[in-house]
Amino acid sequence: MIEAQALKKVYGNKVAVDGISFRVQPGRVTGFLGPNGAGKSTTMRMIVGLDHPTSGSVTVAGRPYAQLRSPLTEVGALLEARAVHTGRSARNHLRAVAATHGLAPGRVDEVIEMTGLQSVAGKRVGGFSLGMGQRLGIATALLGDPHTLILDEPVNGLDPDGVLWVRNLVKHLAAQGRTVFLSSHLMSEMALTADHLVVIGRGRIIADGPVDDVIARTTRTTVRVRSPQATQLAELLAGPDVTVTATEPGLLEVVGPTAAAIGEVAAAARLTLHELTPVSGSLEQAYLSLTQDEVEYHATDLTPTNDPPPTGASVPAGAGTEHAEEAAR
Amino acid sequence: MTTTTERPAVATDRAETYRVTFPHLVRSEWIKFWTLRSTIWTLAILVVVMVGLVALITGLDEGDSDGDEGRVGALGVLALTPAVNLAALAVVVLGVLTITGEYTTGMIRSSLTAAPRRTPVLAAKAVVIGASILVTSAVAVALSYGVELLTLGDDAPDLSSPETQRVLVGSVLYVTTIALFAFALGALLRHSAAAMATVLGLMLVIEPVVAAVPWQPLRYVSPFLPSSAGGKVLQPDMVIDLQNSASSVGADLTAWQGFGVLVAWVVVTYALAALLLRRRDA
Repeated sequence: MIEAQALKKVYGNKVAVDGISFRVQPGRVTGFLGPNGAGKSTTMRMIVGLDHPTSGSVTVAGRPYAQLRSPLTEVGALLEARAVHTGRSARNHLRAVAATHGLAPGRVDEVIEMTGLQSVAGKRVGGFSLGMGQRLGIATALLGDPHTLILDEPVNGLDPDGVLWVRNLVKHLAAQGRTVFLSSHLMSEMALTADHLVVIGRGRIIADGPVDDVIARTTRTTVRVRSPQATQLAELLAGPDVTVTATEPGLLEVVGPTAAAIGEVAAAARLTLHELTPVSGSLEQAYLSLTQDEVEYHATDLTPTNDPPPTGASVPAGAGTEHAEEAAR
Repeated sequence: MTTTTERPAVATDRAETYRVTFPHLVRSEWIKFWTLRSTIWTLAILVVVMVGLVALITGLDEGDSDGDEGRVGALGVLALTPAVNLAALAVVVLGVLTITGEYTTGMIRSSLTAAPRRTPVLAAKAVVIGASILVTSAVAVALSYGVELLTLGDDAPDLSSPETQRVLVGSVLYVTTIALFAFALGALLRHSAAAMATVLGLMLVIEPVVAAVPWQPLRYVSPFLPSSAGGKVLQPDMVIDLQNSASSVGADLTAWQGFGVLVAWVVVTYALAALLLRRRDA
């Protein structure tokens, strides 16, 4: 378990992490979601003792990381920036890290195999693609067979195959009772991978709860109704908790009652319906509504905003979005 | 992934078996040191430069010094001085890169995540560099002496004389200590170019300038600068006496006192680097 207490980090006069408290429980995948610059990486660096908190504290398994006797069997971490000497081969890098804990040399070959690096293990890391570098980072994190896994943007640069592999791996590890803490700025990836979400914006926690709850709390289900007698229907539906918006003649967007309730009202009044579609809120909407005030770097809109792509997209489509966002950064 | 079904039992078991210990860290740094091509290259350059220069100097001298037999023995010791000074430049690069290479590539984050107490990592690195360069430079000095035996024959410096012994042992220690000085400075500055410029600038520019400018206050400073002080251990007695009698002010350091001053530089720089390593964000 990871536990942060009023954790704060200030660089110069910039507050990177502003007194956040949260817990990451074992046995499930906890997503750490937030826009770029929100403080995700800083928080993760503080968990593994690379950055010292300005105030507050963070513990892993009840102890500050620096006091762990065997840090690598307790925590495996993949941090955002590459942390491998480019002049060394992947295998030698892993051998050197394994040696710090006296891990059995066989473990190096195990993680090489697990991460699919067999064919490049003898090559120097400098020539690795982003994806291979990421796999090596994950291999390093897994070396100690740790109880807690901290992965900062693990799917960055991975191909669709790799994205799926990471997703299955972290779910598998969480199912074994381990603590998995995974950061991403990609909501679609989180919707597929995480069980629990900690959403951060500008150094503050803006949501902390099960994925479904976070979505339910921040978005409301809209029902799209198309009817030739739209005006009449709108009058019938009007009520204290109901918002009806006429987006175009004959088309209503209703927030409040369920699709079934609307259908029954229409039937009772003998009104014709051409369409009755519940449009459920997505994590993406939730994320945007949560973070709209918290985004550090606002881009000017060049094109009129279209509907956000649906979440729960198939793997290749999801990966496509990633690359687009990568390129946009 | 095979050892995870019985987690609590496995956890205690593994925490007892696998731990960060100083010998483990030395082993890790040993692997890191020898798995970089730059290590092999610089150590090879160290040996080649030292032995080659000694061969060149003594070899050429043999042709020139016909009929002037008495001078040659002293020259045998003298020949080692420029060779060691040149070899020292190679180990400066190695010493600096051993630590700054980790900062430029980000490897330091892996190193410090694996060993979050930090200072033992620095100590393990110092042990590995110190031992490796000590052995390599001992080999280089031994080979250089062998070359002198070949080129100078009976006129080679006498191994039984305390002066020769001091210069030979001093050469090995000087090269090693300069490497550790460069390493400590690299750990302090965390930047390859900055650290190399500082050490080389000190050895090649600042110290010669300070020694050459005839301004009296500098006379007091000059003998205590790292390579001016440490380099005394490479000089024949005659040269040290000459240097000490040349100026009326300043400290007249003996060979080993001078070396002690260099060691003090290393200790202070290392202590500062260790302190900052604990304090700074990685």
